[in-house]
Amino acid sequence: MSVVGARRALPDSRRLSPGASRTGGVLAMLATQIGSEVTRYRRMPEYFVGVVILPVILFAMFGLPNSGDVLPGGTTVVAMIFVSFACYGVVSQALFSFGAELAAERQKGWLRRLRATPMPMWVYFAGKLAMNLVFTVTIAGAMALLAQLGGDASFDLRRLLLTAAVLLLGTVVFSPMGAAIAYLARPKAVATIVNLVFLPLSFASGFFFPLRQLPQVLQDAAPWLPTYHFGQLARDTMAPALDVEAYGGSATGSTALHLAVVLGWALLCVAATVWGYRREAARERS
Amino acid sequence: MPADVLEAVGLSRHFGTVVAVDSIDLRVGEGEVVAVLGPNGAGKTTTIEMLLGLRTPTSGSVRVFGGDPTSAAVRGRVGAMLQDTDAPESLTVAEIIDLVAAYYPYRLPTADVLDRASLTGHRRRRVTQLSGGERQRLSFALAIVGDPDLLYLDEPTASLDVGARRAFWKQVRAFAALGKTILFSTHNLEEADLVADRVVIVNAGRIHSDSTPRELKGLLAGRTLELVTDAGDAELAALPGVRAVTVLPDDASTADNATDAAGLRRVRLQAADAEPPLRALFAAGRAASGLIVTEATLEEAFVHLTSAEAVR
Repeated sequence: MSVVGARRALPDSRRLSPGASRTGGVLAMLATQIGSEVTRYRRMPEYFVGVVILPVILFAMFGLPNSGDVLPGGTTVVAMIFVSFACYGVVSQALFSFGAELAAERQKGWLRRLRATPMPMWVYFAGKLAMNLVFTVTIAGAMALLAQLGGDASFDLRRLLLTAAVLLLGTVVFSPMGAAIAYLARPKAVATIVNLVFLPLSFASGFFFPLRQLPQVLQDAAPWLPTYHFGQLARDTMAPALDVEAYGGSATGSTALHLAVVLGWALLCVAATVWGYRREAARERS
Repeated sequence: MPADVLEAVGLSRHFGTVVAVDSIDLRVGEGEVVAVLGPNGAGKTTTIEMLLGLRTPTSGSVRVFGGDPTSAAVRGRVGAMLQDTDAPESLTVAEIIDLVAAYYPYRLPTADVLDRASLTGHRRRRVTQLSGGERQRLSFALAIVGDPDLLYLDEPTASLDVGARRAFWKQVRAFAALGKTILFSTHNLEEADLVADRVVIVNAGRIHSDSTPRELKGLLAGRTLELVTDAGDAELAALPGVRAVTVLPDDASTADNATDAAGLRRVRLQAADAEPPLRALFAAGRAASGLIVTEATLEEAFVHLTSAEAVR
């Protein structure tokens, strides 16, 4: 082609190809990002089985056999176990997709390529968060269906929907925790750290067994954990205080306190993520 | 003069005490296809990263389309094919193309991109099912899907075989024919010669020369002469216009004549022009037979250029 021909075009005029078309702007970008994240994770068996299916199976194994047990206030035990396992599903999802997977992508250079595109980075994180919300609905939906059909949970619909809202809030709140780990730890260590953090948190927050069945030391530690407060928030939404105490064996504490701890923890993790992200961006550019 | 798409002034980058890029000035006009040519470690990748705004220069400035290369407005008009960038494994080729397309203000149709990158038959494959060459083509597809006005290619053919290279450059030329500006790095002279309008030679972080492939050849080499002669090395090196002398292994032309005793051997001379050294050789009464004169290859010019740089 000619080199220094008489090109009249100014540098700020686009030289579009004949077939080029305008894209849909930032909302379409976000929608595409979310769609592609959901597709990606759905196709990853190690993720989908471990994070989406496993909690449902565990709930079926440990929750459904309690069918028929009813707490003094009228709430079924199955409904309470549903809440605990759904909380476990939410936290595991948030930590694994935002922690382990984000770290893996950081390492692979895909993020570097994205940085050369005009996509604002918040779209990338929003896409992941939205994907987590979609899977939270999937996990909780599957569990609730099982509980209702196979466990005779007799859900109060209003309480069930409110609980779902708390679970979605938990997804938003604990995703930054995974992201913070992904950005603060070495990429190769992240999967190990996530596992180390996740299992004790789930046990000590009463996700697998009611708190009163746990060793005293864990019962004492629980009020210091953000996941415990998240669990209490969800349990309080599902059942009246009487039943929550009857099921968990501990006084529940004020809703405002639970909410404050959970949101405060989220803010802390967001701050840590932003710091880690900036640190990495500076390191990559330096 | 075409309007400047890219303007770098005094661009430098240090890594600790190592100077990777040393005060590069570069202007690229609209529609130009520029090769940045240099050996490994010459600073090509670092330069492209700074032009893309992925790396902060130690000093100097970059303007792309008159703006900041890190701004979304500029990035929306720029495509890049970088080294060592993977793509999400569980998505198909077409899905990845559509995802990246959504990031840009304008896009090319998926079918068009697949066609330009010769991936139409692979549209439903996952990244894990692609060969190294196919991944490179996917990388090219992602670089052009936003219909960029300026396209960077960092050593795009590094992992391709000869046939795949030829096909790749055909695709690049087709994209350039749309009036796009392209800057690519390579250490392969033939590619620079075939594809670029302009070749910028970079060595040890500096621009060594900036010329058309034709000028580059003329800059130095002129002619390569091969002949059978009885003149000694020192005498050959002293001939007018001769830059380098190589003694070639014996072949039929010398062996058959059985003239070893006469001191005949086959030599290759790099010279600015063919006539002056030959005339001097004849005037000195030396033998000169089996003469082959060829235009010097870019490869020879390049070796000469960069080795001169190393000595300096």
